[in-house]
Amino acid sequence: MSNISWKEILLEEMPADLAHEVDIFEGQMELMGQGKLDEKVFAETRLRRGIYGQRYDNGQRHDGFESRDLAFEESERIKGPDTLWHAPGMQRIKVPFGGLTPDQLDVLAQVADEYSDSILHVTTRQDIQLHFVHIEDTPDLMRRLASVGITTREACGNSVRNVTCCHLAGVCRTEVFDATPYADAFAQFLLGHDDVQDFGRKFKPAFSGCENEACGLVMMHDLGYLAQVREVDGKQQRGFKVFVGGGLGTVPHQAKVLSEFTPEDEILPQAQAVARVFARLGEKRNRNRARIKFLVAKVGIEEFSRLVEEERKTLPHDDRWSAYLDTLAHYEEKPTRPPTFLNGQVRLSAFNRWFETNVYKQRQEGYSVVTVNLPLGDLTSKQTWALADVARKYVGDNVRTTVEQNIILRWVSDADLPLLYEELTALGLGDPGAGTIVDITACPGTDTCKLGIASSRGLAAELRTRLTTKSASLPDAIKDLKIKISGCFNSCGQHHVADIGFFGNSRRSGNFKMPHFQVVLGGRWRDNAGSYGLAVGAVPSKTVPEVVDTITNRYVDERAKGESFQEWIGRIGKKQARSLIQPFMQLPAFERQPEFFSDWGDPRVFSLGDIGIGECAGEVVSLFSMEIATAESEAFEAQVALDESDPTRADALAYSAMVKAARALVRTQFLDVGDDPNRIVQEFKTRFFDTELFFDQYAKGKFGQYLFERHQSPNQNPDIDSAHRLIEESLLFIEATHVCESKVGGNVLIEL
Amino acid sequence: MIAPQRLSLKFYFADISVDVEAFIPVFHRWIREHVVSNELLLDVADYKHILDGPALFLIGHTADYVIDMTDGKPGLQYVRKRELGTDLSKALEMTLSQALNGVKLMETDVELRGKLKLGADAATIAFVDRLNYPNNDTGAESAQAQLSDSLGAVFGVDASITRVDNDPREPLTFELHAPSAPDVDTLINRLQARKALCGQ
Ligand code: SF4
Repeated sequence: MSNISWKEILLEEMPADLAHEVDIFEGQMELMGQGKLDEKVFAETRLRRGIYGQRYDNGQRHDGFESRDLAFEESERIKGPDTLWHAPGMQRIKVPFGGLTPDQLDVLAQVADEYSDSILHVTTRQDIQLHFVHIEDTPDLMRRLASVGITTREACGNSVRNVTCCHLAGVCRTEVFDATPYADAFAQFLLGHDDVQDFGRKFKPAFSGCENEACGLVMMHDLGYLAQVREVDGKQQRGFKVFVGGGLGTVPHQAKVLSEFTPEDEILPQAQAVARVFARLGEKRNRNRARIKFLVAKVGIEEFSRLVEEERKTLPHDDRWSAYLDTLAHYEEKPTRPPTFLNGQVRLSAFNRWFETNVYKQRQEGYSVVTVNLPLGDLTSKQTWALADVARKYVGDNVRTTVEQNIILRWVSDADLPLLYEELTALGLGDPGAGTIVDITACPGTDTCKLGIASSRGLAAELRTRLTTKSASLPDAIKDLKIKISGCFNSCGQHHVADIGFFGNSRRSGNFKMPHFQVVLGGRWRDNAGSYGLAVGAVPSKTVPEVVDTITNRYVDERAKGESFQEWIGRIGKKQARSLIQPFMQLPAFERQPEFFSDWGDPRVFSLGDIGIGECAGEVVSLFSMEIATAESEAFEAQVALDESDPTRADALAYSAMVKAARALVRTQFLDVGDDPNRIVQEFKTRFFDTELFFDQYAKGKFGQYLFERHQSPNQNPDIDSAHRLIEESLLFIEATHVCESKVGGNVLIEL
Repeated sequence: MIAPQRLSLKFYFADISVDVEAFIPVFHRWIREHVVSNELLLDVADYKHILDGPALFLIGHTADYVIDMTDGKPGLQYVRKRELGTDLSKALEMTLSQALNGVKLMETDVELRGKLKLGADAATIAFVDRLNYPNNDTGAESAQAQLSDSLGAVFGVDASITRVDNDPREPLTFELHAPSAPDVDTLINRLQARKALCGQ
């Protein structure tokens, strides 16, 4: 093994809090390896660090004939229920509002190259995902990301997921104002916030600058913000129309209006109040009804709004609610080149095709946004480095990911466009057709997702190839239609808001199962995901290209002048829409058309045998279990520091571990205890020590005294002996905390 | 010298008359039939929609086999990613041995036989480990010496190793030129003889 480590090398470059979080996680991995951490607790812990399970991680794979064991070494070692330690997994990386710098792209490419399969995948929520990652590589992977200011914290699990925002925010011609700094402030404020640690399910926020375009998709989010300006006493006041309870999934819900106008200085406390109401009243045990949309539907939006308002009044003041507003005036993106105009340059026809679909004229004269159209949202490490250089040359830090799985370069000086196009083309990144029918969105599906039923990516690749081949001859009416594909009903591919959407399912024919896609027509992408499509029936996966042709041909033939696809579907109705696909719904016998019984890009005979348990399913873990696990990791870190002959650090960590354990216990009764050690110790004393709830049958209050003594009289010069003693005491204290909690019975539950 | 985090070795197709698609069922069969007896194979990942990149992965637990089209030069890349041991020379020998085994399996595969040929007279070797082998002059010299030693003995006296002048963000990379390299079987035999000689 090497004598050097990323931990040491990057020490100065990582923000201290991010570095500490990774150390804690590494400690938890170690504890898990020693069998000292509950598997469910560890599963939620790693999910909250963005480390997700991947297909076959239960050690079983269907090879087309039967399910077989994958003979991983140490097969008894797990990283969660039914999830083998050595099985590769997915690392999700949060990218708030999709904003990336070239330096971040460089490091993302390096970690993809070293720990994954050298492919970066852009998701439908502006994240980056890496696949086939071994869990033991994740701490260094996170450290390297932390060194360029990226965290994977709360990228998965029952937490506030990536905060998305229109990729055009700030340069858009129709926006009210730039929502970016608000999205950023929101993401920072709620990251790791106490009030978002006890959700029954994930929570997805989105920001949008205007009502009519699609970009922010606020109507399909748990919490959505739409920029608004109103006049108060002759002055312009900024704020947001706030929506709550939207979501796709099996049962899509349109978000409801929580408030017509929330002033900018109120959005963070209001979000905090929403989080508290959701944590307190949201469903915890039945994950199928645990998203906030079900709570809003259950109590009604009026009552939900009232609850939020009441909660808002009880919130202890937090300076961060408005502190970021002072920086807003200085928030601006800087172009790297002066504005110019595209005038008189030689324009090749290939450039013109690309220009038509991939270039958006910014509000700012002389500048454009260029969309790098990524096939299936993928790019290689090598392409990423080159793209980072292209960005440095033309746009500096103004790079964003999009919810359509592309990357955009903002602030391209117009006269640079032809050269930029050439450079992108040389990298294999100059495909035209961004945002058109060939730019198909697809979730990972059966390629890597444990819940996938059919191959969304395989189908997307096939459709992309076929449609691109004939793109020059496609009628104008269908060029801009959106096709979106999910591998199952969970809707990660956002099929509900596509003109033509598909989600994977299966049907039986004789003794065999056949991959199918449910066809969903007429969803509305514009108007922030304004309405959801109509499910009209399921067709065999292998017929989908023909199904697309049939539907689009009929639309071209039958549409009235100016009639949109949604209007046409609305006009012909579900029955007629179904009749369009009816001829494809027949199921051939295996013997006659065996190719129908395997999926796109996968020659194995189709099976549902590989579907696993989604990592958000089923198990219930208490908030106490999650928080005490952090305390235990710090105690572990303290031992490591002692082994490294650093008694000062060991002493500090052992003390911190005790405070965290006390806090975990206090928070079973009093969620708002905050982070101040004085307050935590005081609350612990009043609630558990003075009441003797914490007392051991024989040792009485002895373990509690360990905390009080260290808290009141910190050791100014700890040596190896004293640090060692304190570590022992912290372990006993943590143990006593466990005993007390099981005696008293925690009341706050988390669902995995 | 220490073994890197990952070590990759790419041999180039001297001849190929099938497209990437043809490897998909082959790789699935390799998984099903445990064709690589000393490695656990897991899955097939299809990226052929990406231009000039790694097009198809046979993902394994310890190593991946990649039909790689990077820079428009199709080849079979073997990426050793786990269980490299601690010593570079042993890691190199093991990676070479497994990569050659992969070449042989591919050339003799029942569905591919006669449809492709991998050249043994050139290869690209990458140290995918920026911690221990940053792509600069510091680590390159000794890595190059070790490569010359390990590969020279197998590929012939006129085999040469040159460092690739690539972007410093990319892995430290070398090229092997071995004009008089014998066929794959001979290479495998030589490697085994060398191992026996070293008492491994
Ligand atoms: S829609 Fe289904 S298959 Fe696709 S990523 Fe989501 S859960 Fe997986």
